[in-house]
Amino acid sequence: MDKIICLGKNYSDHIKEMKEAAPEKPVLFIKPESSFIEVKEGIKIPLPWHRGEIHHELEVVFKLYKKNIIGIGLGLDLTLRDVQKKLKEHGHPWEIAKTFKNSAIVTPFKAIRDFEGDWKQTPFILKVNGQIKQQSTMSQSILDPNQMIHYIDEYFPILDGDLIFTGTPSGVGPLKPDDEIELSMGPIQYKFKLVDKTRGC
Amino acid sequence: MDARQLSHDILNMLERLRIMHDLARDQNFSVISKAEVKEDLQSTLDKLKKDLETLLQ
Repeated sequence: MDKIICLGKNYSDHIKEMKEAAPEKPVLFIKPESSFIEVKEGIKIPLPWHRGEIHHELEVVFKLYKKNIIGIGLGLDLTLRDVQKKLKEHGHPWEIAKTFKNSAIVTPFKAIRDFEGDWKQTPFILKVNGQIKQQSTMSQSILDPNQMIHYIDEYFPILDGDLIFTGTPSGVGPLKPDDEIELSMGPIQYKFKLVDKTRGC
Repeated sequence: MDARQLSHDILNMLERLRIMHDLARDQNFSVISKAEVKEDLQSTLDKLKKDLETLLQ
């Protein structure tokens, strides 16, 4: 993987909940490979709560080869919301709120054929401590998958193995140490736990 | 081409080989056909050999 390319503001309901104006096109930003961690069942993932509130953003993630989607996964794009808010208020880039270690949590990928029926209609769900926090389908996104790749290709060189975080639906919110996370979308089903980095794991 | 760029290209080709391995292991040819993967495998291996030899000089 060379990079993780992320789309912001690609779901109308999320734009509304953030009380922000809809941009002409979704926002693009990049997370480095060093922010990536692959989910394994039961894994404990340390996060830096000492730096402020950390919000979950559930997203469908694509793995690309020859600019085609060869794998579908689920991801949590984690955001240091306090840090991001301050930076936004000052008109500064908010990259450091999105690029900390383990801020791009991604499940293993499934092939499109592993999904029953239309994968774009398959609900993707985030549960925190057993409670549904975010739920949507890919068909609700503003840009469809082909439009996303075409749009990204205008601005970034897409390399084989790059990942796309395709944007988050409504329901983003804070996480706490020891939260139990469940990610699901058809054949993708994973549970894991978040722990405070300063307490070790 | 400088060594740094060459090294970057080589690492990208190794990543491409890893993806081809995953596609073959999972028999995942619904998006990219087996013929396309085979063709890419050959061209990637040829270029990888050439670039590695250049880097070794």
